[in-house]
Amino acid sequence: MNESNPHRLPIACLRSGAFCCFAGWTWVHFYWEGPYGVLLWQDATYDLATRLGLSWDEFVGTGADDGFVQKWIARIWWLYLACTLLTLTVRKTSWVQMTGLVLGSGLLTLLSYASYVAAQRQLPMFIEHGGQMLIPTILVMALALGAGHRVTVTTAIIGLIMTFAGHGCYAIGFWPTPGNFYAMTTLILGVEYPTAQFLLRAAGILDFAVCVGICIPYLRRATAVYATAWGFLTAIARPVAGMSWGLNYWGADQFLHETALRAPHFAIPLFLFCLWRKPGEKEALQARQPVTAELH
Amino acid sequence: MNRQPYKRAGLCCLAILLAVAPATAQQNAQRRPRRAVLEIPEVERSEVICFALYTVHDNTLKLTAQLYPLQSGESRTVRLEIEKDGNWVEVARTSVVEPGWTAPFRVENWDDTQASNYRVLHGAEANYEGVIRKNPVDKDEIVVAGFTGNSIQPAHGGDISRQDLIDNVQQIDADVLFFSGDQVYDHNKHLAAWLKFGRDFGAIIKDRPTLCLPDDHDVGQPNLWGESGKISTISGNADGGYRQPGIYVQEVERAQTSHFPDPVDPRKIGQGIGVYFTNLNWGNIDFAILEDRKFKTGPAGRVPKQGPRPDHIRNPEYDPASVDVDGAILLGQRQLDFLDDWAQDWRDASMKVALSQTIFCGGAHIHGSANGRLHADMDSNGWPQTGRNRALKALRKAFAFHYAGDQHLATIFHHGIDEHRDAIWSFCVPSIANLYLRWWEPLEPGQNREPGSPDYTGDHLDGFANKVTNYAAANPEKTPAGNVLNTRSAGFGIVRLNTKTRQITMECWPRNVDVTDPSAKQYPGWPRTISQFDNYNPPSWGKLGELTFDVDSPVVQLVDRDSDEILYTVRIAGKRFVPAAPKDKTFNIKAGKDAPETIVVQDAKVGGAAQSVSLK
Repeated sequence: MNESNPHRLPIACLRSGAFCCFAGWTWVHFYWEGPYGVLLWQDATYDLATRLGLSWDEFVGTGADDGFVQKWIARIWWLYLACTLLTLTVRKTSWVQMTGLVLGSGLLTLLSYASYVAAQRQLPMFIEHGGQMLIPTILVMALALGAGHRVTVTTAIIGLIMTFAGHGCYAIGFWPTPGNFYAMTTLILGVEYPTAQFLLRAAGILDFAVCVGICIPYLRRATAVYATAWGFLTAIARPVAGMSWGLNYWGADQFLHETALRAPHFAIPLFLFCLWRKPGEKEALQARQPVTAELH
Repeated sequence: MNRQPYKRAGLCCLAILLAVAPATAQQNAQRRPRRAVLEIPEVERSEVICFALYTVHDNTLKLTAQLYPLQSGESRTVRLEIEKDGNWVEVARTSVVEPGWTAPFRVENWDDTQASNYRVLHGAEANYEGVIRKNPVDKDEIVVAGFTGNSIQPAHGGDISRQDLIDNVQQIDADVLFFSGDQVYDHNKHLAAWLKFGRDFGAIIKDRPTLCLPDDHDVGQPNLWGESGKISTISGNADGGYRQPGIYVQEVERAQTSHFPDPVDPRKIGQGIGVYFTNLNWGNIDFAILEDRKFKTGPAGRVPKQGPRPDHIRNPEYDPASVDVDGAILLGQRQLDFLDDWAQDWRDASMKVALSQTIFCGGAHIHGSANGRLHADMDSNGWPQTGRNRALKALRKAFAFHYAGDQHLATIFHHGIDEHRDAIWSFCVPSIANLYLRWWEPLEPGQNREPGSPDYTGDHLDGFANKVTNYAAANPEKTPAGNVLNTRSAGFGIVRLNTKTRQITMECWPRNVDVTDPSAKQYPGWPRTISQFDNYNPPSWGKLGELTFDVDSPVVQLVDRDSDEILYTVRIAGKRFVPAAPKDKTFNIKAGKDAPETIVVQDAKVGGAAQSVSLK
């Protein structure tokens, strides 16, 4: 390990968050399909194909066979797999790998843009992916600049605020609350619609409280703890609500990746909490670290 | 080592990442057409009634007035008045139902032998007028205009006026309007979209019976396998159930279906969601109103994964039987029981038509946009195959013609169960404005095609190995050129049901044509006329001996002598009838003026002698 000792745990949070996020999206691209269809069937795409010297049939397939688009969409999972591995192997001095992860952030940004377009260009849909888009870059920053560097911390806070603000906009009803928010609340807690709505509105208010609290030094630690817990609960909500013994593989192939790819929602606040521990806690933790960690 | 340049480079990358996506989005936003703004407009209090839908069945008028949101303090009472001898007479009053702002009226002992002007009143100012038509039992031809898929997005041409549809419906003077689904595409604001639908189509809806079947998008999700009211959690909702809360679905169904004849089996399903499957008898046509989606099983996790989505099958080598899993439901037993009764009931009916959201096969090969070929789509009624066959067996017993939509691709299919063309015909109408493109484009030319017809017609197996025979498909352009309305194969359907000749004529019109103009052209493959009796006339069957009755158009039923199973029931045209039947079986023939109450021929076989039958 080449991370300096006090920052080992925070960086591990970022590593594991980025790893899970890329692993989840790798599964989506490998086993299911990336959500790019919404971006492809447009006049602009047709123009692009023409400029590339491809006929439309070559570009999107004739129907009888796959075209350029289908072939390359089917291969994108390799890029995500590579990014997944990079989250494990990237070190402070490995600039090529860092560049790869920053490009990975670009892939996640493209995904988020596709989701945004598919959601009728609802702004919160793009914003709430902020944590996912940024976590590879935050990891790179933590390695290159230091986990406690103000740029790293500021970027992590931006990622957290984006995630919670986007989620809060939906939960509080500034944009229409997605049906699956109600569905998961109802199924997991066994409550009726009015209670589910009350709980979602309350959660939405707390989402915005997180966005404010994380910026206030006196509140930021408690805020980070809450954000970690809430980020984890919302990430596991899908498999908890949807998996069942009666389904093939208990539904694991449909639901587990939904938690994995949302790992940044709790990994980033956990990273911040680890950074902001009280000095006594840090020293005690340092004392428990194996000496070998300092030799690298 | 000086790392300053790398740090700067890293920061630049971050800045680019954060800036490029919104900037690109903004640029795209400027290039692409504007999006529809879906809001509930402020209206004068005199305009607070947006539109009204009605049906008349079995001497009961059911009318639902759709109101704009009322203000606090305003009366919640709405009145219905009928014009009698020049005077307006109140026949019903009701309270506005929230959420949804619907005012459902019910008037029993309705005299359907004459037309009546009506008006819906709210407060002192609001007044909405229309006509309750007389039951057109004296007309030979009943005209049903069919619509589906009402995108309002400019990208699909959804912002283009519907005036062409209004004008055409008024010119053909349709007797019934049928909206098969996706009247509303907004997944969160049904009321706002429904009010817009009312503003767009209210002028034709107010004066004739109208049936709107809520489909997946109406209830706020991209696909719907209702699973009797389960709650769905995954993206795409292939796990079965409803994505939106039950209260939302109830509001949608209240708005779109509360004016239907009473449901025949009104027990609610999960989340307090109601059912509306029933029949409407109008102009001697008996329409079965079905709910394709409400009871249907979701495929995710229940069938082996065969493609990039739980409901899509990409692998052409897969075993179709592997997805026809035990326990998978299509219409559900309650609807099948209803169809069984409906098929035998020919009171006041000369012809039968089934109305539902979509057709009983995988009616397209290429789906969506650039995503290419799908071998099979479990959102279609081709899956589950066993459920599909049970539905078709129930419908063909009534020689029912199937009128549907949903596919975004107009088609004519003749369905098969045990052999090609042994079941009913279906007509899937094109979208009003087409959100999602599909093509019927089989890789192999169809067998037994009509001379000169395209390769895609003829006998095929769909992606679930269901037997289908295609007669027409209004495929859209292959490239996005233009990308609005008719290049996306938008349009509407007209079905003419002739109760005298028992012929059914299907017409499929593009948008913005005048259907009364002799030079106006329909989509290739239309019009097509079939006989009512083609809906159950397997090629392998023979003919029993001709029956001659002493009453006009009695009801005839064939019953398998050995199994006692009803083969079919039908009201014949005129006094002569040559029943078709399987060659290897023996039948008892029952008949009666309005119900098959009497066995008139025993042990009838193919090739038997002609007989005269007295029913007086």
